[in-house]
Amino acid sequence: MSLAQRGRRITLVGLVLLAGVYVRALAYTPIERFQGPAQKIFYLHVPAAWSAMLAMGLVGLSSVLYLLLRDPRFDRFAAASAEVGTTFSLVMLTTGPIWAKPIWGTWWTWDARLTLTLFLFFLFLGYLLLRSAVAEPGLRARYSAVLGICGLVLLPFIHLSVYLFRTLHPQPIVLKPSSPSLPGEMLITLLLSFAVFTVLYVGFVTQRYALSLEREAQGSGDVGRA
Amino acid sequence: MPDVPQNGGYMVAAYIVTAVILLVYAVSLYRRANRP
Repeated sequence: MSLAQRGRRITLVGLVLLAGVYVRALAYTPIERFQGPAQKIFYLHVPAAWSAMLAMGLVGLSSVLYLLLRDPRFDRFAAASAEVGTTFSLVMLTTGPIWAKPIWGTWWTWDARLTLTLFLFFLFLGYLLLRSAVAEPGLRARYSAVLGICGLVLLPFIHLSVYLFRTLHPQPIVLKPSSPSLPGEMLITLLLSFAVFTVLYVGFVTQRYALSLEREAQGSGDVGRA
Repeated sequence: MPDVPQNGGYMVAAYIVTAVILLVYAVSLYRRANRP
């Protein structure tokens, strides 16, 4: 089985499991008393944010490894992870305001957490634009590696922004030093969704990586330029 | 006990938007891989 086929199968499994998460979240997970049904956006928004952060974290790590080892596989992986991360950032940045409107009374506020996540999205876009703007492969890989490392540096600030600044955004309820403050049924749905979004990330990145390999074999350069 | 807010429309919108974004990206990868 080729890498592209493997990626497609993983993606298909991820999409089927995502349908399962929809059913569990909408039909079998209790409605939160104070926020109402809108709270269920949580089961998509938080895993999408996790996948976007995972994507940028791996872009940064592969960028460091590329600069150290000059192995093109790391550059190829970083490019794939950045494109997939842009998709998950888009999910995070659309579901967030849809959840915020009924709960906070506003679609958007320029506080630290929201502004930094928007900045993360622009970093992903900038990374992809940079790759499509530079034709020479070695130069493109070096420039984008530097930008990828900037993204990695941004991640701890995003995570800690809710502790460092006054913000409307709630503090972490799972990824925190103490145990998760969420009822069991809700926690299971959230963890399932985390797992499914991670499967989707792996499927998408595998497909996108295979696409880069194919384009390079054809001599048509970066996928973003195709 | 307070009444549960009636804001299911926002929930439905978010679930639809997420499905659309992820499906469109999956289709985009498939189409790019099959482009001659």
